[in-house]
Amino acid sequence: MTPSVRRWLCLAAIAGFAGFYLWGLQGLPGFGRYPGPYGNIIASHAVEQAHATGVVSAVNFDYRGFDTLGEEFILFIAATGVATVLRRLRGERRGVPVDQVGGREQTGTSDAVRVMAVLLVGPMVLYGWYLTSHAQTSPAGGFQGGVVLASAVVLVYLAGQFQAFRRITPVGLLETAEAVGAGSFVAVGLSALAYGLAYLTNILPLGHQPGAVDSSGTIALISFFVGVEVSAAFAMMVAELLEQALVIRETGT
Amino acid sequence: MPLLVGAFLSAGAPFLKQRQRLSDGIAILTSGAVTGMCAALVFQASGPRSVYWFGGFRPSHGIAIGIDFAAGPLSAGLAALSAFLVTASMMFSWRYFEHVATHFQTLMLIFLAGMVGFCLTGDIFDMFVWFEVMGVAAYALTAYRPEEKGPVQGAINFAITNSAGAYLSLSGIGLLYGRTGALNMAQVSRELSAQRPDGLVVVSFVLIISGLLVKGAIAPFHFWLADAHAVAPTPVCVLFSGVMVELGLYGVTRVYWSMFAKALGHEQVISHTFLVLGTLTALVGAVFCYHQRHIKRLLAFSTVSHAGLFLSGIALLSPLGLAGASVYVLGHAMVKGALFLCAGVVLHRLHSVNETSLHGRGRSLRLTGVIFTVAGLGLADLPPFATFLGKGWTEESAYSHGYAWVTVVFMVSAVLVGGAVLRVAGGVFFGLGDPPPEDPRMAKEAEEEESETEEAKYRTPLSMVVPAAALVVVALALPFFPGFGPSVQRAATRFEDESAYRALVLSGRPPANLRAPLPPGPTGITVADVATGAGSAAGAVLLAGAALFRRRFRSLARFAQHSRAVRAARRLQSGVVNDYVTWLVIGVACIGAALAAALR
Repeated sequence: MTPSVRRWLCLAAIAGFAGFYLWGLQGLPGFGRYPGPYGNIIASHAVEQAHATGVVSAVNFDYRGFDTLGEEFILFIAATGVATVLRRLRGERRGVPVDQVGGREQTGTSDAVRVMAVLLVGPMVLYGWYLTSHAQTSPAGGFQGGVVLASAVVLVYLAGQFQAFRRITPVGLLETAEAVGAGSFVAVGLSALAYGLAYLTNILPLGHQPGAVDSSGTIALISFFVGVEVSAAFAMMVAELLEQALVIRETGT
Repeated sequence: MPLLVGAFLSAGAPFLKQRQRLSDGIAILTSGAVTGMCAALVFQASGPRSVYWFGGFRPSHGIAIGIDFAAGPLSAGLAALSAFLVTASMMFSWRYFEHVATHFQTLMLIFLAGMVGFCLTGDIFDMFVWFEVMGVAAYALTAYRPEEKGPVQGAINFAITNSAGAYLSLSGIGLLYGRTGALNMAQVSRELSAQRPDGLVVVSFVLIISGLLVKGAIAPFHFWLADAHAVAPTPVCVLFSGVMVELGLYGVTRVYWSMFAKALGHEQVISHTFLVLGTLTALVGAVFCYHQRHIKRLLAFSTVSHAGLFLSGIALLSPLGLAGASVYVLGHAMVKGALFLCAGVVLHRLHSVNETSLHGRGRSLRLTGVIFTVAGLGLADLPPFATFLGKGWTEESAYSHGYAWVTVVFMVSAVLVGGAVLRVAGGVFFGLGDPPPEDPRMAKEAEEEESETEEAKYRTPLSMVVPAAALVVVALALPFFPGFGPSVQRAATRFEDESAYRALVLSGRPPANLRAPLPPGPTGITVADVATGAGSAAGAVLLAGAALFRRRFRSLARFAQHSRAVRAARRLQSGVVNDYVTWLVIGVACIGAALAAALR
């Protein structure tokens, strides 16, 4: 197919598809008119049943925790896939880290960026930790917190400290942390089986009152492990990409 | 019931353990765990259909707030098949890769977890989650040898096409949730059939199945498959062809029978749509297969062709058709797995997958040659392979619905595909006839396929031949398993019973008809089946012979030349992912238009 034929074919098909899709959209209930029972049931039961005021987290880590397990493994496998594709191969060696894209001017990182990055690292770690550990009381959780934690690590690189960045992101350790995070989620679920309950049943004490940090049983625990997995996975992906871009090169060049 | 979860988690646990023991040879441990899981699942499959609620959130008043695994015998059987094939290909890859990085096993095991979860779940969104787990693992496995351009290109085509399909599915699920407020399939089914089907129902059905049809390699969504198969490591191809494609079709079947069958009605229209797609796929795949010289690509196109045949069986919307398709899937997975493993041995020993340059060079691989030939005959539906039994049932069912022409499609496809495989067998392993003419483009493609293993080896390790032989033996022995036929047919009947499924999941009522009466029709083998099966196998042998000795038959030689139409068709398989996505949109628009016009 030549590009122009493809363009016209595709446009025609998209037009047809859009018409079809709009036909279906007409069947949706109007804005603000929620038909289903699911949301209402959760909204009225979650606080009492799971002692979690973060109802979204209650759905994520408790009612539909099994989905979250799968989602966590999507991320896990994606990070593993990146590690697989970017591993050092035959005919490649490590060199001194330099910018390998030729033909562009080398500019140093400006002082403003360095200072901002360094200043932000601390608060970012704190904020990430806060999000990870407060799934039970707010719509936070391990996924969001983990990403924030990983961006704190990226800030170190932005501050112009690639060597420092490499020191704090040893890939082997990150891979282990990632696997431990993902595996612990599975283990939390399994522990319920020891009590003769269904997989992923919330077996820990729920705490005295909803909304307290120590409430909600396994929700907080799972959120913590997800946080470990997500932060390690993202940090590892960034580390692998930078390693590939800056350090690894073909032998003979 | 915990068996179900236990089995699933035995897949979950080892991949974590092994992550920490990064440098060890863990293949043995892994295979062992997976085999245990496989056995547990087969056991589970023979019991009544059980429902398992995660977190103990059972539905109250018919409303499910948790996620369930609801596996019938068919679903569990498919999960067991996945586990079995993973075990076989892990055994094969034990000696196949020089340096097996731990990543490979991790990817394989999570791939398996994804497939099992996909088979067993009773929740449409959960199904999507496992579908994605499976997909992401598969993309990474395809690109396992990133030092070459081919694998990365193939993986990108694969990932983009399939992700586009997955977005369609997800938006379909979104529409469905917007309407019903439910994600549990049984509950969705109840909500949907309480109202008249309108645009939303049709659109969400089409969107959801589009993503699954992409995975199922149904024309015009099949283009990614050959690109991915040609470059993925051979043990991975076993899984892609043997079970991943079939899982896409299983998804279509499950979605239809667990949610939409009652709500949509219009069985005739849906049946015709699927039949057209299936037939088109079967023929396109078979023609492309016959014209290939790259052995792995050739096998990949034969998978496309068979996917079309499976869809035709499913399209009959009858228990017998579904049972036929299921048995066909089983048999095909075994034979196709064996063929890919043999291709892997060839690559391992002779360092090429180009049929032309390999001509006669495989004489020393006698055992591999025999396995390849027998498996090729199995692919051509020779009795008493399981493929033949499945094909027979499907044809019976088609005949009773007044579609006698389906038999012709099956035979044409079997002759072309079987002929191509036997041509390779005769040429490569026995040096019969003349080498096929060199095709510059295909030679170039095949050349890229060299360094999967480090260097050519002088002997074939037993761990590579045994799995292939075992697969062929299973394919041959399956139909003789006592009670095999009736139990598959009963399972298919139950799979298509939407109200019983609903009652079981939502109110925990076990199906009353565990020993349901069998659907009318044969449970064994009829004379007509033997005739068509043997006929297509004989046709395949003749075709292969004609292809190999074409110079000695002047009149035949002209047919062997690639005709202009074939060359034009081959240009469609361009390898450019933009084209594939264009085809995807065109396909969805056409299916949508057809169903919209008919069901409005």
